[in-house]
Amino acid sequence: MIRVENIKKYFPIKDGFFNNKSGDVKAVENVSFEIPEGEILGLVGESGSGKSTLGRAIIRLIEPTQGNIFYKNKNITKLSDSEMRKLRKDFQIIFQDPYASLDPRKKIYDIISQGLKVHEKMDKNSINQKVEEIIQDVGLQKEHLNRYPHEFSGGQRQRIGIARALVLNPKFIIADEPVSALDVTIQAQILNLILELKKKYSLTILFISHDLSVINQIADRVMVMYLGHIVEVANTSNLFSNPQHPYTRSLIETAPQIFRKNKKKTLLKGDIPSPINPPSGCVFRTRCPNPGIDCKGGNIEMGLIEVEPGHWVDQCCANCN
Amino acid sequence: MISENLLSIKNLKTHFTVGESVVKAVDGVSFNLEAGKTFAIVGESGSGKSITALSIMGLLPNNLAQTERGEILFDNKNLIDLEENEMRKIRGNRISMIFQEPMTSLNPVYDLSFQISETIILHQKKSKEQARKIAIEMLDLVGIPEPQKRIDSYPHELSGGMRQRAMIAMALSCNPKILIADEPTTALDVTIQAQIIDLMQELQKKLGMSIIFITHDLGVVSEISDHVMVMYLGNVMEIAETSELFNNPLHSYTKSLIDIAPQISDEKREIKVLRGEIPSPTNPPSGCVFRTRCPNPGIGCKGGDIEMGLIEAKPGHWVDRCCYECNQT
Repeated sequence: MIRVENIKKYFPIKDGFFNNKSGDVKAVENVSFEIPEGEILGLVGESGSGKSTLGRAIIRLIEPTQGNIFYKNKNITKLSDSEMRKLRKDFQIIFQDPYASLDPRKKIYDIISQGLKVHEKMDKNSINQKVEEIIQDVGLQKEHLNRYPHEFSGGQRQRIGIARALVLNPKFIIADEPVSALDVTIQAQILNLILELKKKYSLTILFISHDLSVINQIADRVMVMYLGHIVEVANTSNLFSNPQHPYTRSLIETAPQIFRKNKKKTLLKGDIPSPINPPSGCVFRTRCPNPGIDCKGGNIEMGLIEVEPGHWVDQCCANCN
Repeated sequence: MISENLLSIKNLKTHFTVGESVVKAVDGVSFNLEAGKTFAIVGESGSGKSITALSIMGLLPNNLAQTERGEILFDNKNLIDLEENEMRKIRGNRISMIFQEPMTSLNPVYDLSFQISETIILHQKKSKEQARKIAIEMLDLVGIPEPQKRIDSYPHELSGGMRQRAMIAMALSCNPKILIADEPTTALDVTIQAQIIDLMQELQKKLGMSIIFITHDLGVVSEISDHVMVMYLGNVMEIAETSELFNNPLHSYTKSLIDIAPQISDEKREIKVLRGEIPSPTNPPSGCVFRTRCPNPGIGCKGGDIEMGLIEAKPGHWVDRCCYECNQT
């Protein structure tokens, strides 16, 4: 459904009187992957790893610096704005913060129906019908359509955000930390709703989260991202039962769990480095629990190799291990 | 038994008056904190966890909040009855607190040296130079690299994890008996969260303080605490030792929380759901406060004659009476 080849996104840093470019924030570096139709692909990483930038670059909400994006085998990287606009209704985003992503001055009806008014030439009655149908699909009632966002709780607002994303019958959804701002009981409700609607609307989803246990519950396949690079990709059960990259291992070991099987905990030292000035060689080496001597070299290139069918790991770490 | 308890809270009620209505944010909370132990308070947003903590610290505005009845016993004194100038001697000195968001709880216009020294100068009567020396030692203690240099940094120059370390340094600078930590790791990445939890456990061993750890994350609770209290809508649902609570939960709410908590497992599990949302504290359900979300509410739970209150089901394991009786039959 979606294929991404060697995508890069650098944000220029401008300084001084003439706005001279003094460097780049290397948010996404040479990322390639595919999402087959009907899959939920989890994307996990810390803040600053480039997850959200990657999500937005895929659907060209921000323009990638380099690389190609294919949607249904059609290269969409070079499409003009007007051609892209026609495709927009196939791509939708569900955002993290249900407080900030709904316009406080609009009624729920207007928030949900706006996409229909822009993209579909529908008469008023069929718009009404569609909006009423979708609001019930996300577990709210028709009566809610006449209210404003502040009248709803966090979980209900996230349901409204989902309704807005689904009203155009999209094919591909980017869910950018959709449950991170919610209480754990509400989180479970929303995750279940997303799974239900995925079946009903046959969606393909890129699910972005920093929370491994959420990814574990919902994703079919997982990509682990660190400082703009994908360091490991595998299907969910493989990744969690047999993690290969030391970063993935540490993430799994340090995720707080009620009933932990493995008591061993490898703490990572320090913080994620700045993407303006990433470490030379392997980007993970400054926090690696046991870095090899070679990882520092300038001739190390980041890139994935396949260690078992469908399980890809960054080559530097794969060789190190 | 009583001598072991550093802090003893009995039937604490904190109510807010908003216009005509009364918000019962904390409605009858009792627990004991033992010396050198970690006591976790867990619950959803709006359950009254933070208000309990702020009531202990005496940080709520008097004109809005009434801590009506109850006792907060510390050092043979009831903190509720203390005058503000007496409370000030305890706050930040014997009992101190760290908060969720280190960026908003540090003052952006002062450097760390000023902010950490301030408490030391006030409570320990040290000179500026001595206080600065102690502040540097504290930064070293909490694992901030190059404390000599970092002491002159401003909060915006530090990462989230470093800021939380600085907050901990500030809170511990007067060697308090009790540290209240209100969601100290919630705003942090998991790798940084693991570092901070590790640090707090290490410091507790070294300095021997008791910790009240407030969180919504049961996973974190199981890592750090000796005892757990589960709160819902201003009421206590269950109190027990941590392993007892997780292996043998008695309250339906605790059971649901444990069922729902995301677990990393090799095979795909069904996502379990607790229906509904926490009701508004201005208009709590009659009878048992949990009945609107209870998976199997009894017919008796609705009645107005139900009173919330804990009974000791087993030694040291307390559970709300209504739910316990419901589950027994």
